[in-house]
Amino acid sequence: MSGRGGVQYSRIAEIKGPLVVVDEVESAAFDELVEIQTSEGEKRLGKVLEVGNGKAIVQVFEGTTGLSVSGTSAKFVGKVMEMPVSEQVLGRVFDGLGRPKDGLPDPIADRFVDINGEPMNPEQREYPRDFIQTGVSVIDGMLTLVRGQKLPIFSGSGMSHNILAAQIARQASVVGSGEEFAVVFAAIGVQYSESEYFRRSLEESGALKRSVLFLNLADDPAIERIITPRVALTVAEYLAYDLGMHVLVILTDMTNYAEALREISAAREEVPGRKGYPGYLYTDLSTVYERAGRLRGRPGSVTQMPILSMPSDDITHPIPDLTGYITEGQIVLGRDLFRQGTYPPVNILMSLSRIMKDGIGEGRTRADHQEVSNQNYDAYSRAQEVRALAGIVGKAGLTGLDLQYMGFGDDFEGGFLSQAVDENRTIEETLALQWRAVSNLPKAELTKIKDKFVEQHYKERRAQG
Amino acid sequence: MGPNPQLEATIDKILAQSEADLLSGLRRAHAEAEEMLSGSRQAMEDEYDRILDDGKKEADKVSRQIIGGADLRARNRLLLLAQESIARVFDEAAARVRAADRSGPEYAALLEALVKESVEALGTDGVTVRAAGQDREAAGAALEKFPGAELSPDPVDCLGGVRAESKDGSMSYDNTIDSRIERMKPLIRKEIAAKFGMGGGGG
Repeated sequence: MSGRGGVQYSRIAEIKGPLVVVDEVESAAFDELVEIQTSEGEKRLGKVLEVGNGKAIVQVFEGTTGLSVSGTSAKFVGKVMEMPVSEQVLGRVFDGLGRPKDGLPDPIADRFVDINGEPMNPEQREYPRDFIQTGVSVIDGMLTLVRGQKLPIFSGSGMSHNILAAQIARQASVVGSGEEFAVVFAAIGVQYSESEYFRRSLEESGALKRSVLFLNLADDPAIERIITPRVALTVAEYLAYDLGMHVLVILTDMTNYAEALREISAAREEVPGRKGYPGYLYTDLSTVYERAGRLRGRPGSVTQMPILSMPSDDITHPIPDLTGYITEGQIVLGRDLFRQGTYPPVNILMSLSRIMKDGIGEGRTRADHQEVSNQNYDAYSRAQEVRALAGIVGKAGLTGLDLQYMGFGDDFEGGFLSQAVDENRTIEETLALQWRAVSNLPKAELTKIKDKFVEQHYKERRAQG
Repeated sequence: MGPNPQLEATIDKILAQSEADLLSGLRRAHAEAEEMLSGSRQAMEDEYDRILDDGKKEADKVSRQIIGGADLRARNRLLLLAQESIARVFDEAAARVRAADRSGPEYAALLEALVKESVEALGTDGVTVRAAGQDREAAGAALEKFPGAELSPDPVDCLGGVRAESKDGSMSYDNTIDSRIERMKPLIRKEIAAKFGMGGGGG
């Protein structure tokens, strides 16, 4: 940091997009917090991006609209941006920079923590394990979320990802362990109506008590979006590693975060990478996603569920592409299912939870979980093939077994995949629905499940269709 | 006309056959009825369990809503009360600072330390110092040790302390008591709250 914080400089050389260049700066440090003051006395926050040759480039979080070179001054505070944390943050609503948005005073801080977080010692990391129940069958049954995992949801514009995010935030829990659970919800660049939906949804369900909300709205300055996931993760890390809670962090929409990053990069005249995003997009995203995990000797965990809307539903777009490299799987929402009114419209054939196996099974969920899930994957894949075939030759051209697979597909989508927005299913209910779906098939088709489980749970259903 | 044994035998046969058919039909109907009943019993039990489960879930949901909401309201009310009390403590402290005796050597030493700190922060001796109206004399005395510094005739409206500015006006450093309180406020707030039994336990 600068030798002593608090010096105010009034020589502004240039204002360029979200950046302010301060001249004749004696001492400033990378990432140092800066208070920009207008001639009218209005204060805005920023941080130092570059220092050198007596100049400091400051990124103004709240935007530079209305600032002028004359009359503006910059006070270098002498510390990085910090978030006040304590147990009192639970139940609170903050803006994208971590300032109270619920009309209440600042929480009484236990500590002030650097929002960039402390790097996790890789040697101290513990492998993610154990199950987080979201109450959403398709996630709990086939794409199980594991404590300490980072599992993104890839969606498209207009799809129901925010409804799903709110449902997960309301319902998520760690079952039967008696351990404390919290949700940190960061909305990045969302519409006002969506932010109100999130807030109301948590308030009315009573889940706000164990949640922390960070709301950066679409009309808030884009640059704030760079900070929002970081303040949210700072609070999550405190709740997890200091207070021993299992914390689920939902970040929606990370595409807006990447857009803000592109805006700053363009203003800094950096050489653009793919689709104009900066070349360091991967590195930057990893500074957010890699803050999920568990630490040896600490009871809590930070689990991340970033949500990103893929421009034009393009999964090869740089944001989902690079996200996929860092995270441990993905949940993909399908446009076809969404159009046919299925909620949640999860396309399971494109989705995967890479470390699901470490969160399920005997002592965690149930011994038959993995096998019945594999069988459902297999059968749904076959059902899709049969549907495609029926589209060409018609139903009359299908065999009896094909028709049974079609029946399975319908029951899978109608009974297991679909659920109401306020329906919170236990893992037992979810597994029962998976068994119900595969029971549409003859016993001989259940090749992925051990006989003892088949004997225990299979109840043959009449062939559909 | 005498008895016709052949006819009677036929009638007996038909009667026996009918009786057997009837009994068999009755047995079958009984078995079917029992099967249906047991199936219905199972369905009824399943439905009963489902209704109970749904009811329990709904009750849990409503209880979470009520308890969660009430708990949150209580917590927020407590925070507002604490904030009111903290604000009163700050007001009282400001009033005491304002009324404090400034004629002693301690205050002169304090002003000198504040000027020294400001000069160091700006990195130059050539500064213009502004002080509160009631501190002008003490500030003037403190500046004697800083040959490049001069006291501005314009006073600052503050509790005490100084505000220094480089002579070219490009840099300034606010070292008034007000700004120092403002900088330290979150930490002081935590200390005050701890005295009310609020705040986290960590350090």
